[in-house]
Amino acid sequence: MTRSVWKGPFVDGYLLNKAEAAKASSRNEIIRIWSRRSTILPQFVGLTFGVYNGHKFLPVQVNENMVGHKFGEFSPTRTFTGHSGDKKAKRG
Amino acid sequence: MGVIGRPHGVRGLLHVHSYATDPTDLARYELSDERGRRFALRWRSEGVAELAEIVAGKPVKIADRTAAEALVNVRLSVPRTALPATEDDEFYLADLVGMQACAPDGAVIGEVQAVHDYGAGASLEIGRVLLPFTRACVPEIDLAAGRMTVVAPAEVDAR
Repeated sequence: MTRSVWKGPFVDGYLLNKAEAAKASSRNEIIRIWSRRSTILPQFVGLTFGVYNGHKFLPVQVNENMVGHKFGEFSPTRTFTGHSGDKKAKRG
Repeated sequence: MGVIGRPHGVRGLLHVHSYATDPTDLARYELSDERGRRFALRWRSEGVAELAEIVAGKPVKIADRTAAEALVNVRLSVPRTALPATEDDEFYLADLVGMQACAPDGAVIGEVQAVHDYGAGASLEIGRVLLPFTRACVPEIDLAAGRMTVVAPAEVDAR
């Protein structure tokens, strides 16, 4: 069953405080979080979170397209080792 | 870049698993295997290709199933120089993996072991540390020297 709209998106309260502090400081920092269930809000865009996957904190650079998704979606808990082939990585 | 799978039919066609971003790109390159044999590939249908071994500059088609069976599990590779140039701030994973990561003062931190991208920007695995692949964290990359400068970000716990 989907979440009722009148409740608004779920996000752990302390994340908002940390995100506001990080935006204000504008330092190069990673906010390490365990809350995989929290929804990504527009306030988080531009910040980098380290989302715990039960093993380590995977860096998640939040952009506009991720708003509305949960943090856990970007930090898989199972290892996937692919082949590099001609794949490229873009520096953000 | 790919690996040859099982034969398909009796006319020498083979299943080929491509690891290229666009699987059909495999046909653009001259492929080679671990034994130094060179191959040209032409896709016949999705995942099925016709291979020709290049002997003395001439392609010799793999024409029957017996010859195709001899190629099962052969890993195909492409020389790094054959890959097209990248755009600004874009790097081949093959270039990044194995690079030496140094602190701004020149001290060696470790080696890039893997590059991950799960849809939230690329990250570098250096030793047991995961760093976001951003300009702030990786300000300098010297591909020729195989070295990058890494600035570890501050970490703040949110509980």
